[in-house]
Order: sequence, then structure tokens, then C-alpha cells
Amino acid sequence: MVKQFLKERLGTIIILLIVIVFVIWGFFSINEAKNNAITFVEDYVEPEGNVDFNDPGTYVSVAKTDRLELFYNEAKGAIQVKDLESNYVWKSICDNEVYDLKNINKQWSAYLQSPITITYNDLKKRDSGPRQVFAGRDCKLLSYENIANGVSVTYGFTGAGIYITVEYVLDDDQLVVRVPVEKIREDSKYAVTTIELMPYMGASMNDVGGYLFYPDGSGAITTYEKADTRPSQIKLGTYYTYTNKFVNFQNLWYSDNYSRYTSSMPVYGIKNGDHALFAAFTKGGENSAVMVYPSGYVVNLNHIGFELYVRNIYNVDMYSMSTGTDTAATGGSVQRIDKTLIPGEREVRFFFLNGEKANYSGMASLYRDYLVENNLLKNTVVTGENMPLALRLLMGVTKDGMIFDEYIPMTDFEQVQEIMERLGTQGVTNMEVVLSSWMKGSSDYETWPPANQLGGKGGMKDLNEYLASNPGCQVYLANELTFATSNTSGLSEDRDVAYDGLNVEISTKMFDGTIYYLLNPLAIQRRNTQFLNNLEKYDLLGVAYSDVTNYAYADFNENAPFTKAETVEKFKEIMNDTVSAGRKVASNGGHQFAFGQADYLYNLVEDNYGLAITDYPVPFIQMVVSGLIPYSTEGAGNLSYDLQVQKLKWVECGSIPYFNLTYESALKLRDTGYESLFSSTFDDWEGVVVDTYKEFKENLSCVYGQQMVEHTVLQDDLVRVKYANGVAVYINYGDAEVTADKVAVPAKSYVVVGGGEQ
Amino acid sequence: MKSLKRIGIGLLAGITCMLSVSQTAMAAVSDNYVTGDNNYRQPVPQSYNVVRTINNIGDYEDKMQYFSNPQDLFVDHNDDIYVVDTGNNRVVKMNSNYETVNVFYGPDKAFKSPQGIYVDEDGDMYVSDTENRRIVHMDPEGKFVEEFLNPESSLETGNVFSPTKLIVSKTGYIYVVRGENIMALDGNGDFRGYYGQTNIGYDLTEALMRIFASEEQKKFISKRLASSYINLTLGDDGMIYATSMEREEGEIKKLNSIGTNIYRKYKTVGNAIRNPITDFINNKILKSVVAGNTFKFGEYFNDDGMYIEPIFTDICVDEEGIVTVIEQLNGKVYQYDQDGRMLVAFGGLGERKGSFTRASAIDVDSKGNLLILDRINANIQVFEPTEFINLVHAATSAYNNGDYSGSYDLWRRVLAIDENYDLAHVGIARTYYKQEQYKLSMEESQLVGDRDTYTMAFDEYKYVVLRQYFVLILFIAVLIIAVVIVLFLLFNKYAKKGYWSYLNNKDKKMGVGQGIMYSFYTMLHPIDTLEGIRYNRARINMAVPFILFITAFVVRMAYLYIVHFPLASIELEDVNPVFEAVKLWIVPVSWIPASFMATSISGGESKIREITFTSALSLVPFIVINTPLMFLSNILSKSQRSWYGVFSTLAYVGLFLILFMAMMILNNYTLKKTVGMMFMSAFLMLVLWLVILLCYVLTGRMIQFVIAIIEEFKLNFL
Repeated sequence: MVKQFLKERLGTIIILLIVIVFVIWGFFSINEAKNNAITFVEDYVEPEGNVDFNDPGTYVSVAKTDRLELFYNEAKGAIQVKDLESNYVWKSICDNEVYDLKNINKQWSAYLQSPITITYNDLKKRDSGPRQVFAGRDCKLLSYENIANGVSVTYGFTGAGIYITVEYVLDDDQLVVRVPVEKIREDSKYAVTTIELMPYMGASMNDVGGYLFYPDGSGAITTYEKADTRPSQIKLGTYYTYTNKFVNFQNLWYSDNYSRYTSSMPVYGIKNGDHALFAAFTKGGENSAVMVYPSGYVVNLNHIGFELYVRNIYNVDMYSMSTGTDTAATGGSVQRIDKTLIPGEREVRFFFLNGEKANYSGMASLYRDYLVENNLLKNTVVTGENMPLALRLLMGVTKDGMIFDEYIPMTDFEQVQEIMERLGTQGVTNMEVVLSSWMKGSSDYETWPPANQLGGKGGMKDLNEYLASNPGCQVYLANELTFATSNTSGLSEDRDVAYDGLNVEISTKMFDGTIYYLLNPLAIQRRNTQFLNNLEKYDLLGVAYSDVTNYAYADFNENAPFTKAETVEKFKEIMNDTVSAGRKVASNGGHQFAFGQADYLYNLVEDNYGLAITDYPVPFIQMVVSGLIPYSTEGAGNLSYDLQVQKLKWVECGSIPYFNLTYESALKLRDTGYESLFSSTFDDWEGVVVDTYKEFKENLSCVYGQQMVEHTVLQDDLVRVKYANGVAVYINYGDAEVTADKVAVPAKSYVVVGGGEQ
Repeated sequence: MKSLKRIGIGLLAGITCMLSVSQTAMAAVSDNYVTGDNNYRQPVPQSYNVVRTINNIGDYEDKMQYFSNPQDLFVDHNDDIYVVDTGNNRVVKMNSNYETVNVFYGPDKAFKSPQGIYVDEDGDMYVSDTENRRIVHMDPEGKFVEEFLNPESSLETGNVFSPTKLIVSKTGYIYVVRGENIMALDGNGDFRGYYGQTNIGYDLTEALMRIFASEEQKKFISKRLASSYINLTLGDDGMIYATSMEREEGEIKKLNSIGTNIYRKYKTVGNAIRNPITDFINNKILKSVVAGNTFKFGEYFNDDGMYIEPIFTDICVDEEGIVTVIEQLNGKVYQYDQDGRMLVAFGGLGERKGSFTRASAIDVDSKGNLLILDRINANIQVFEPTEFINLVHAATSAYNNGDYSGSYDLWRRVLAIDENYDLAHVGIARTYYKQEQYKLSMEESQLVGDRDTYTMAFDEYKYVVLRQYFVLILFIAVLIIAVVIVLFLLFNKYAKKGYWSYLNNKDKKMGVGQGIMYSFYTMLHPIDTLEGIRYNRARINMAVPFILFITAFVVRMAYLYIVHFPLASIELEDVNPVFEAVKLWIVPVSWIPASFMATSISGGESKIREITFTSALSLVPFIVINTPLMFLSNILSKSQRSWYGVFSTLAYVGLFLILFMAMMILNNYTLKKTVGMMFMSAFLMLVLWLVILLCYVLTGRMIQFVIAIIEEFKLNFL
């Protein structure tokens, strides 16, 4: 009976069972989602405030060292720092002396008087945008306590129920500002994402004379005097430390997006008359950005500051099924935020300079000392060593064929030797050579083995032996470990690919169907270890990191999650692995975190993005590393529209001469995607390379291995750089001879004064 | 059509993406490039540097230091710069050091939205005072001289006169852009006619509408107008260079004294009377025969790979005849030589120095600096030429002036900077040609795919070789002719043998070899062959059509490799074997079901088997014609392409004829009935393709849907 019933109703029963399973599954999933969601208090009652916004307050001394004195204003929650060397006072907010606060609207007046601002999201509304509030208007509850050498202030944004504590402390000749994440309190349904830290510290009008310095490219300057020459509508500069805070391929790979928004070091500087301030994000700087507001951006005030990102935020594109795009009415974009705050210390140090040192050269010098002291910058230049020549050799390319791809060897291992040999006999004994695309099938995302068409492992062995007898030459094998394609061997999509906070792979699909992935830092380390193992027999070959030092990102892969700061540490560890394996390390350009490990920096950025607010680029990074690590520029001598101009740029940056060559004719590169090597044939360039090297060796050996202590733009097209040993170099980019400091500098040329030629 | 284009562009977007991938692996890359006659962006060295940006007019005026919506810019012979500051209703004059020396607000009455300016050699200014409906002539001090109002003329239809861009010729005529025309006025302000109107051309749809539409309907058919002009400039050679919206003939024009465009055109036949037949010959036959006809001014996609139709807002021509235009939608600056070959493209939309938001005017000064006005950014950027582009300019003008050895040396210097610069190779090839070094010229031009120069050199080279080895060549020719005759006789013999042996052995099935020989009999006696199949349908061997299909494909592939370079219809690296196969087989293969369906419902007798067989037979002319043709092509060049085209068209005519006869014979139809059934089958073929396409699209959507569900599932539950 039962049996028959079961038989008759079998279908219904199965369906019912499935439904029950789904219901239970759904129940647990919803519960889990609820647990994972950010919790917030529904019944938040706004506490009574204690701040009178009309009270100007008074500044009271709270700490003092030999060099600085710190004042705190209880009514405003703001600080002032007095530089006792010059008695110049640096104000953290604007008062009527700095700017006429009465004649601007209330909101801006409040903003100008805010030591901090915060941005938060509403957790209840899924498509609500971020909202910003200012301490000068919304911080209604203010409290402080005196701590050793400073003061700890808690800003209570009662309306949003968010409480932020900031510690201001004097440390010898520096002001240290800390934002302890563990002291951030969120009592309501709002979650804080961004803190703007002292956006008006040192802000000034144009008549003060001076400039803003910020880390665009190699470093950039916006002078106060030239405010008139800028467009009526200006764009502000935003420089995310190491990598854009929104990690996607658009921002990683498109050079426009990358160089527009990325900085190599989290620093900025302000020069007001004869006084300067230099700020460096010394701890937790990975999650920060420098925001540059030159005069004319709403108010006629030049100001610059750090933004701290305390919580990750994502833009989710709502994919619309009906149109297949994410831009339709049903699509659009909503914001999602992390449950937890990004952990880790946040510390900003402010340095103060006066008189002759109050410029970007002085800032570079200070920062260099700080990095060296903290073992973040290593010295690899041996004093008295010959200046090396920088070479980059493209080894092989593939060309799409009708049925099979064609492999075109451009420089094989034997030819690498031949090039070094031929240059060697003509007096070029020291070289830093980076070999790229040497892998099988010229697939950059593989790390092994070397292409057979180039001589394979045997060729590599011979090259290694050749290096043993030529100690002046250093060869690096370039690899790209950070990215992989769906064809890359030995990778698992679940384990090795980086995920964003929405649990979506960070990847992009190309027109031919190939998917490119960003990799998990742990996977990168594993790939590096494999690479080092493979290289074991070739002990003299160095490793050039093409991309590891160019990006830093948080990875939410459940198997091996990384915060952005942890990723940076992991990348340092990867380079250290290579160093401890006894190999030299070269870094492709590279962010500050590469400086502690790299023996050679190639493609070091020499220019900046070129926003309308930028007046001129300065070689700040170069000044920081000069004399410690050899470096070459992005521009190669053979790829320039004018070699002479490129040479001048090398001299200005203190860079070693650099050529990007192939042994075979560049004509073979047609239709391979490498046409940007316009002219690279070694036979054609041999003479030029040798002449250029000799010229540099003769004229500039005296400054190789020396610190560049001063860089000054004397006038348009005329630059002077000075080195620690007193040598000065004048560089004239113009078409006419000019005289400066009684030195006549011919057109499109340079003059070395105090060098070895006398 | 548009969606198809977008697919193609999507591919391009991928390519640009690809490039930026390898760029990260490469050194710093300048964003200067050229696109040849295809759309591939080939990078070239930095050609222009921004040396200065003028954001305001300095302290000359207390108020309104900034420009507001400036629309035009003019550089006169002293390098003085005039900016038409439309939003501020003024004209700003700057000297060659970019210092403001004068500001004009209008001579007798205030300017009202002025939009264009021309300054003659005496420094007299002609301003298009647009909203005041006049052109005003001022002396160098800004004093009123005269004004030109709407001319009275029988040709004028009383439209409002809104002058915008204008020039004044040396004869004193004013030429002003007016819609689809350039209007000429003489010194007295009298109308002197329209100039340079573009040919509207012939439109089949319109012609049909005119025939069939009722009077009522005709009222609603909008009159087709010629494309509008956008801007114009006067060259040092006295020619008027203009940009227009014209998509048929070219957006950039160089107009001679009678208004004929003598610049590079899209259509090879030019202004000749167009009709469907010449159009068909040009577009379908000639284009399908010879590659490299895809030239367009500018680019039809932007940096993101989206489809755009370029709008060239302004044009300037320097003393050497170098033409530079600005494009509004992707913010690029394109530079061309007098032959319409691209020298360089740069710029783009963006925030950085050297890019634009909405470029509105361009002019060039005597030093070769380009001044580009942006009306949204309200600034002027000064682009200084680099050594590289200066060499390119010098080489081009040396060639145009007949200094071939000078041009050769300069092109060599260009190649020292960029070994892959196409134009330098072309320049060298052309110089070799002028120097009668034809072999070298051929090598250089083949390197960069320049079919025209190659053809010129090849034709000369042919005569040189012919003269040199006349006897030998004659001997070889005779030998080849003899061999061909022998081969033809053999072919004839075997084809006949195959035919008769098949017909006579009535109890044996067709052998493979026999079947192939039999197939080739189609070339001699198609009707007999087809009847042979009809009456012996039981004995045909289905391996034969299969082999024929494969053979045709092999012939096509071999053809692509062997055909002479200037006659190739597609670049070898662009060949996609699958696509080629589809192109070749789509008609004969889809014919099989279509024709079967059509005939079986209207008294046809044919069966799938023999339709398949005859369908394969239709490829025989293709095989027979193309096999010798690909070898023969190696002594032909582009100048013989018309009769070469005739031959390759014959293969398709043969295909059609055989299908037609097969339909008639296999089904025993009358001629009239056959024609009807042909249309029927063609229609069914179309339906078939549509159904397949529909299935493809729907399955694609389905798969996309399933994938999305799986993704969602993975995200939520795993």
C-alpha cells in the first residue's frame, strides 16, 4: 500500500525533497549572510555636543623639543607647530590670517577650519553614495588628553556616530601624527571609509611664494606664482600609493590610468617662502593617497594632504541581463564596503626645513636619510667602480601566422655574448643587461624554460660561463610574475588568482579569448621560488622583476588573504629570497618598497603625467636613490626622437646611459606588437652606443656614485644639479647658448664644473 | 551593418589592449602612431612636444583674462596670432611671443558670437560676426572698413546669413562655409556663386521610391542634401583645403580654382557619374580583387575601440604642403602629405598636456609649430615639431620638388630613427623608381605593402627584363605555350575519356578517378555532363564531390600564397582559413538543401545526391581558372587588375551558370520555370542563413545565461 503510494507519487516526493533541501540551504545561507553582514545599532541616540563653532579658542603649548613646539587649540581640536629654528608657525587649519573666511560660504569656511574630515557610507541603503563631513562643522563632541610629548584628540562626529582619535606627538625634529585604527568607534549605521588628515596644514595663498611638491612620476612641482597661467577650471591631483585603490585591469594596465593616479612613494612637500614642510607616510602608507589642490580649486588656496583609507570600498557594476551591459537602467553601480576596518598602524611624519634647505632637494635628502636609517634603501654602488652602460635586449617575439604562430628570434644567448664582447673590446667594460622575452614561445608569463631557438639551456649555460670571466657585466633575466593568462602552466584558478572584496577574480578577457589574471602574492612567491630553483645551475644570472615592484594590492582570496600592506611585505620577501640566493636583483622602475632590495633600477620614471596643474617635473626619486643604486631612465637612447635631448635628460637625472636593442633587424618586428622598438638593430647602433658611453664615462664619472644634493630649474630649459662632492652640472635644453653662474652652456648641451676634467 | 562594424571594432579594441600589454613589458612608449591603409596603429617616435600652453591673455585686460568658448584661431604671415574668443565676443591678437598686443570688441558695433577670422597679408581682418549676420572687414588697428551682408541673388533662397569659417583669396573673393557649399562673394559683397559642392550620387532606394511612391508619399520623402562643409583654409599654393562631413569621397578636400576636389579620394573613379553598374564594378569586383583599398581619412574608432565617424573641425596647411587636421570625437591630430598619406597621428582626449577636451581650431606658424585651440579647456597648446617629424617633412617636400637624391638621404635619416616608418620605405621605393633601380624599389615597397609603387616599379622592371633577355624569354614563352597546349589536349582527352567511359559502362559504379575526369568535362560540355548525371544518377560516386570541395579549398589556399603581391585580395597575415572556407563553400553547400527544398515542392525530379554532385561541379571553373591564374599573376601587376578581375569573376559566373543549368536539366524545367526556381532557392538560402544565425545568437544568449547562473551560484554558495 505504502509502496504503491510511493511509486505513484515518486515524482512529487522527489520534488518536495528538493524543495525542502533548498529551503534549508536558503535558511542557513541567509543566516550566514546575516552573520557576515556589518552589524550596526539601530537605535543610536545622538549624544549632546560640547563644541561652540564660533569660539576661535586659543592655542596652548602641549609639548616642546629643542627644535619644535606643539600647540593645541581646545575649541577647534586643531594644532600648530612652531619651528624654533625660524620661529615660523605651521597651522593645521586656516584662520583669518591665512584666508578671508567671512567671504566664503559656510560649508567651505567649515572645511577650511577642519583638522580632519571623514567620509562614510550608510549601511542601510545599498545604493547610497559616500558622504563627507568636516570637523569644522560636524564634529560636535571633542575631547583630548595629554600624552607623552603631545596630545591625543578624539573627534566625535555625533551625527554619524563616528569617533576618530588622532595623536599628535613631537619626536625630536619631527611631528608625528598617528591614527590608531583600534580607537575608531562606529556607534550608528554609518561606516567610515576615508579620513582626510589635516588637509589645510600649511595652506597658503599665492602671494606667499613657494610651491607644492607631490609624487607624480619622478616628482612634480606646482608653483604658487604661476597660478595665473593655469586654466580657469583646474583638476586636482590624486596619487594613490603604489596602486590605485580600485584594483582592476583598467587601472593596472592602461598607462593613462596608471600614471595619472599612482605614486611611487607616499610623500608630499610644501614650500612657503623660506620655510618648507615635508610629510611622509611612514607606517600604513599603502592605504593612502596624496591629494593636491592648487589655488583656484574652489578657493584661492594652495593646499595638499593625505587621505587615509581605513576601509575598503568597491563599486559594483550591476549587470543587466536584458541588455547585456552594465550601463542600462536596471544596471548602474552601487557601493559595497568591507565589514572590518583595514588593520595596521597609521603614522605620518612631518619634517621641517628652513632657508637654503627649504626646497625639494632638501626634502629628498631628508627622506633619503630616513630611508637609509630604517634600512629601506640599500647601497649597492661600490665607490670607485666604473659607470655601467644599461642595455635591454629583446630576445624573441612571436608573430601570428595563418595557421601556426611564427617564432622570431631577435637576440639569442650567443648574440648577447657577442654584443657584450664587441662592446667590451671598445672599452665598455661595465654593463647592466636586462634580457626580456627569453622564455619558450616568448610567453612573458611563463618563467621557464629558455626558448630553444635562442640556444636553450645550453646557451644560457654558456652565457653564465662568459659572465664568470667578465665580472663587470651583470645580466638579469626579466620575468613577469604578477600576472598570468589562462594558458600559463601550473596555476590553479581558485588558489592562485587574486580576488577582490566581492569575491570576484581580478581578471580581464582579451579579444582572442585569453583571460589575464592578477595573482595572489603567495602564488607569486611560489613562482619565484620555482624560478630560482630552475636557475640554480646558472649562478651568475640576476633576476629582473618587470612587474612585482609596480603594484601592491589587497587580495581577498580565501585561501591566502593579504592586506595591501602584507602584499608589500611579501613582495619585499620575494626579492629578499632572490638576494639570499646570491643573485642580483633589478627592478622595473619600482616603488619605494623595491629600494631596500634592488641592485639596479631600470625604466625609472623620469617625467610625470602632465596635468595642467603641474609646472615642471623634478627628479625627486633620483635624488633619493642617487649614488646608492644605479638606475636608468624609461627613455632609451635609440628610441628617442633626438638622442641629444635624451642624453641631457640622463645627465639631469643622474642616470646611466641606456639603450634598448636587438641583434636582428628591427624590421622583423613588424606586426608583432613590438613596433614601438622603432630602431634597435645592434649593428646600426654599436658606434653610437660606444661613443655615448665614452662621453658619459669621461664627463660624468666624477658624479657616479655621488649623491645628487641639489636640483634647480634656473630658467626655462636650464637646469643645474649639484653633487655631494661639489661637482655642478649645467644642462641647457634650449636652442641658444646661455650663461649661468658665469658658466656658458652651449645650446642643447651640458657643462660639468668641478669635475675630473681639470 | 553597424553591428557588424562594431564586432570588427571590438576586435580592434582587443588589439589596442594587447598593445598596452606589451607596452608594460616595453620601455616608455610615445602615443604617436600612424595607421596605414588598414586600421592598425603602428607606433612612431614622438613627433611634437607641447612647449607652451596659453590659458589666458595675461595682464592686458583686467577682467576676463580667460578665454570663453573660443572658436577660431588664425596665424598670419608675421606669426601674429588671432583668437576668436566667441564667448567673450572679442578677438584677441597676440604677437609671436604669445603676448597679448590687442583686443578687439568690434569696430562699429559690438561683436555678437563671432566664429571665424581671416587675416590678409596687410594685416586686415575679416571676422565672421555670426549673430550680427555679417562679415566685417577691419584694418590692422581694428577700425571699420566695410561689412558684407547677406548677398541678394536669384540662387539665394532667403536663408538667414550666419557666416562661420571664411578665407579671402588673393583675388579679393571671400569664400565662406555655407552648409553643403562654399559661398563666394566678391569685393563688393555680390554673390559670385557656390563652390565645391559635392556630388550627391545615385541612390537605388531613392530611385525606386520615386518610381513607386504616390504624390502624397513623395511629400514625406526628405530631399537628400550633399554633405556639409565644416571648415576651410587657404594653402600657399592657392588651393582651398576644406573639411566636410562627406563620407563618400573623403572628409578632407583640396579644391582647385573651379571647385574640383583633387586630393586623395576614397573612390578611385572620382567625380565621374555614378550609377549602380559602375558602383558595383568598383565596390564588388575591383575591391574584392585587390587589397589595400580600405583607405579612409582619420580613424573610424576611438581609443576605447568604439565606432565613430570622424568630424574634422579644422584644417591647416604649412608652406611645404603638409596638411594637419584635428578630429573632434577622439581628440586626435592627423597629419597628411600632399598625397593624403598619413605622417603621424597624436593627441587624444584627456587631462594631460598634449591632449584635448574639444579641439576647435588649428593653425601653423612659419616655424612649423602647431597651435591648437580647445574651446572647453579654453586654451591654446603650442606643439613644436621634433627632429623626427622635421626630417619627415623635409623628405616629403624634397621629393615633391623633384630632389630625389636629397629625399633619399633624408628618408634614410628618418629610418635611422624609426626603421619601420612605412612612409620612409615608400619614399625610398619611389626614389629608387625615379632613379630607375626597379628591383630595389620593388623590394622596398613590398616591405611595407605599398602596392602602387610596387606596380609602377614592376611594370618598368618587366620591360627591362624583357629587353635584356628577349630571346630567352621568347623561347621560354614558346615553350610554355607548347606545354600549355599539350596540357590542354591531355586535359581534353582525359575529360572526354572520363565522360565516355562513365556513360558507356552502364553496369559499373563511377570510379573516383573516373569521376574526377568526368567532372572536368563540365568545362567542355556542361549540358552533356549534367545530363549524364541525370540519366545515370544511380551510379554516381559521392566521394567525387567531396574531393572537389576539398580541392577548391586547397586551390584557394595555394592561391593566397602564390598570387602576386600587388594583386593579392588580402594580406597573408590577415588570412583566416576557416573564414576562407566559409566564403568559398557557403553558396554551393547551402545551395544543396535550398534547391532540394524548392524543387521538391514544385515538381522537381532531382535528389539530394545529384544536387550535391552538381553543386560540387560548380566549383570546377573556380579550380580550372584559378590554378593557372595564380601563376600567371606573377607577371601581372595592379595596372592589369581589370582584366585580371574579369578572369577571377569568370570563375563565379561559371559557378552560377552551372547551378542554373543543373537546376534546369536535373528537374527538366523550362527556362522560365528555372529562373523562378532560382529565385526561390536563393530566397530559401537566405532564410536558411538567417535561421542559422538566429540559432547561433540564441544559443549564445542561452549559454551566457547559464554561465551567469553558474557564476551567481558559485558566488553565493561556494
